[in-house]
Amino acid sequence: MLKIEGLTKYFGGLAAVSGLDMSVNSGDIAGLIGPNGAGKTTVFNLVTGFLRPTKGRVTFEGKDITVKKPHSIAEKGMVRTFQATNIFPDFTVLKNIVLACHLKPKIGLWETVLHTRSSQHKEKDILQRSQKILGMVGMEAMADITAGTLAHGHKRLLGIAIALAAEPKLLLLDEPLSGMNAEEVSETMRVINRLWQSGITILLIEHNMRAAMNLCQRIVVLNFGKKIAEGSPEEIKGNNDVIQAYLGAG
Amino acid sequence: MSIGALAQSIINGFSSAGIYILVALGLTLVLSIVNIVQLSHGEIYMIGAYSVYYMVVSLGLNFFLALVISTLLIGGLGILLERLCFRPFRGQPDRAMIISIGLILVLQSVVLSIAGGTPRSYSSPFTGVLQILGASISWERLVILLIGFGLIAVLFLFVRMTKTGQAMLAISQDREGAALQGININRISAVAMFLGCGLAAIGGALVGSLFSISPTMGSFALMKGIAVIILGGLGSIPGAVVGGLILGLIDGIMPVLATTYLAGLIGFGAIIIILIFRPQGIWGHE
Amino acid sequence: MNKRLLIQILSYGVLIIFMFLLPLFFPGLYVTHVLILIVINIILASSLRLINLTGQMSLAHGGMMTIGAYTSTLLVMKLGISSWAALLLAGFSAAIIACLVGFPFVRLKGIYFSMVTIFLAQMVTLTVQQWRSMTGGSSGIYNIPRPDPIVIPGILNITFTSSVNCYYLVLVILLVSLIMLYAIEHSRIGLTFRGIQQSDSLAESVGMNTTGFKVLAFSIGCFFPGLTGGFYSQYIMAINPDTFSFLFAIYILIYMIVGGSGKFIGPILGAFILTVLPEVMRPLKQFQPFFFAGVLMLVIFLMPEGIVGLPRRLKVVAGRLFKEREERA
Repeated sequence: MLKIEGLTKYFGGLAAVSGLDMSVNSGDIAGLIGPNGAGKTTVFNLVTGFLRPTKGRVTFEGKDITVKKPHSIAEKGMVRTFQATNIFPDFTVLKNIVLACHLKPKIGLWETVLHTRSSQHKEKDILQRSQKILGMVGMEAMADITAGTLAHGHKRLLGIAIALAAEPKLLLLDEPLSGMNAEEVSETMRVINRLWQSGITILLIEHNMRAAMNLCQRIVVLNFGKKIAEGSPEEIKGNNDVIQAYLGAG
Repeated sequence: MSIGALAQSIINGFSSAGIYILVALGLTLVLSIVNIVQLSHGEIYMIGAYSVYYMVVSLGLNFFLALVISTLLIGGLGILLERLCFRPFRGQPDRAMIISIGLILVLQSVVLSIAGGTPRSYSSPFTGVLQILGASISWERLVILLIGFGLIAVLFLFVRMTKTGQAMLAISQDREGAALQGININRISAVAMFLGCGLAAIGGALVGSLFSISPTMGSFALMKGIAVIILGGLGSIPGAVVGGLILGLIDGIMPVLATTYLAGLIGFGAIIIILIFRPQGIWGHE
Repeated sequence: MNKRLLIQILSYGVLIIFMFLLPLFFPGLYVTHVLILIVINIILASSLRLINLTGQMSLAHGGMMTIGAYTSTLLVMKLGISSWAALLLAGFSAAIIACLVGFPFVRLKGIYFSMVTIFLAQMVTLTVQQWRSMTGGSSGIYNIPRPDPIVIPGILNITFTSSVNCYYLVLVILLVSLIMLYAIEHSRIGLTFRGIQQSDSLAESVGMNTTGFKVLAFSIGCFFPGLTGGFYSQYIMAINPDTFSFLFAIYILIYMIVGGSGKFIGPILGAFILTVLPEVMRPLKQFQPFFFAGVLMLVIFLMPEGIVGLPRRLKVVAGRLFKEREERA
């Protein structure tokens, strides 16, 4: 589904990502791990159009998206979440999702300004879909809370819900469990698993090793911007290079 | 066009460039270090002109003495403004910009009520012309050019060689990083304001001595300053020099070939083109 | 239709009727002129707010007025086009220019965007001053005709030689403008604008073309000063490149900020109050800039949400006072 070939990004003289080759197949749930500063989020940024690669190619469902803008990549079905909590803080939780349903269904500019019957109908659909999405992440009860006042763990969950609103085929989760306590972690892991089971392909970055190993079928390990290992969780656990990378990085 | 006229216009161009660079440097220092679009920068420039005017005409001081005293006073004013008006809004540059708008009104009205609205002029301390290659180049222009570029050179040395200067450079490139390195943002912001306002004041005083002063002369300076920064690069100190040189030379040479307005237009046209392809300007890093 | 919307419509309706009746209570050329200025300022401040919904502060409104004024004037006087078509084209010309420069401009964030809008306005003025053959340069254009009469044979014959009729015309323009601005803001477009202001990257990640929307906001927002500039040139019957200066754009921003950029009615209140007050304070005219600056500082320091934020602020203060009482008891 997603093919990354020779992906390279230089910042000045420093190579944040160097010659990365990897792919994610439809139906996978894969993980991208590595010590701090390995370049994982940079890969996400490059792949989803937030950064322009210095070299390399990114193909999604057969189409070259290397230089495409994030919004058109989202339109094609690849949506990412953010490492730093990113929500619409002044809107209610529900409104966050309602807004994020921007792509599906498409409401025309004139339609919405004139408040035509068809646009009102679509908005009703959107409302229903939003409530369903909140249900999927277990936040239905918080629909009317102002997003900025949520606890950290719920904000992260909201971030995932927002991404879901765009009906992604491939969901890129950037450290979805960061800053969560044990209970929130297991809850979120359950959500991620449920999403995968519902047919969404998932690629996630995670620092929480146990979670990554538990959730993912396949893992790619990055260090200093290069891929150092790839395989199933068991293979990775025993891989010496991986162990060295984490020990070395302290 | 004779060599003389060309030489004259080139000198004019460079002296204009000098002024533009002074103003733009001041503006850019405040922009990149205090992180504010100091829209009343033009009014500071105007106050510089009036301050020197009064010291020379009413107090009979020597021009250079008046220049130095005014610069110090107005630099001090800048420090005060930073403390009272801008520091409370650190991190909210939009709000701070609005405050600077308020300052435009205040500063302009204060000068208007004290000095009245009619433009005034006074004879420059540097009279006479220099005869070179059949061209008459006024000493005034030459001195402005020398003072202007002299100051720019001093500023560059300051930035390069002093700790404070290096700190300023650091902050302009990476605010958070600089703070983490232990650089005292408060102190450096005050220095930046002092320098920024001082430079504007000197620019105004030099222009005031050459032409005339009026309470509305500030907006011209502000517009030029903004144009230079946009051309040369947002947040860039060397960019201000390059941008200032380009615009100054255009403004100096164009009027000989066409009209003054066309000069401004070409300058602005160049900027629009640059903006389309590189919105952060030649040297900028936003 | 829910109760809240009904109340809103009714209150705006009352306001509109009130404004239509004003010339009857306050006749006279001078007052009519002030009323026209109030209406113009409301349109300008409200349209500035639309641009501000995406988080951008534009200082180009003065330049847009100039574009509209000259477009309308040149179309009417050089090409003989009807003043009504010229009016619309004045609006569109401003919107189109905003759209063209908008694409590179909106890539810049916050204060840098504001800076380039200042620069844009300056560029407009310079173009007008330079293109003397078309625009008459710095001296401007005089003897601009008032709007063409509206004639429906047998039923209607409205001429605009009187200022009062011009006032009613601009009032109608206000009405239409406010309805348009309100509709846009309360549509999904407005929602998208506000989302972009809160998190540009998030909006982009779920498929919103943030650049496109920002340009849209800027273009639509600049349509109204274009239109208003066209009207103003026809009303005052003269224009020159310095009429709508940098200071002018600043004043409009002040109306919006003081009134409060958070609510639709904010700029309306701000424009109304700050246009009326200087007229009321005419004997103290020389203090006007001080007054404005003072009000601005007051608002920024103490009530950043503007006048519309006042009720909430008072509630907070009252709440705090009562809490202290409780704790002492």
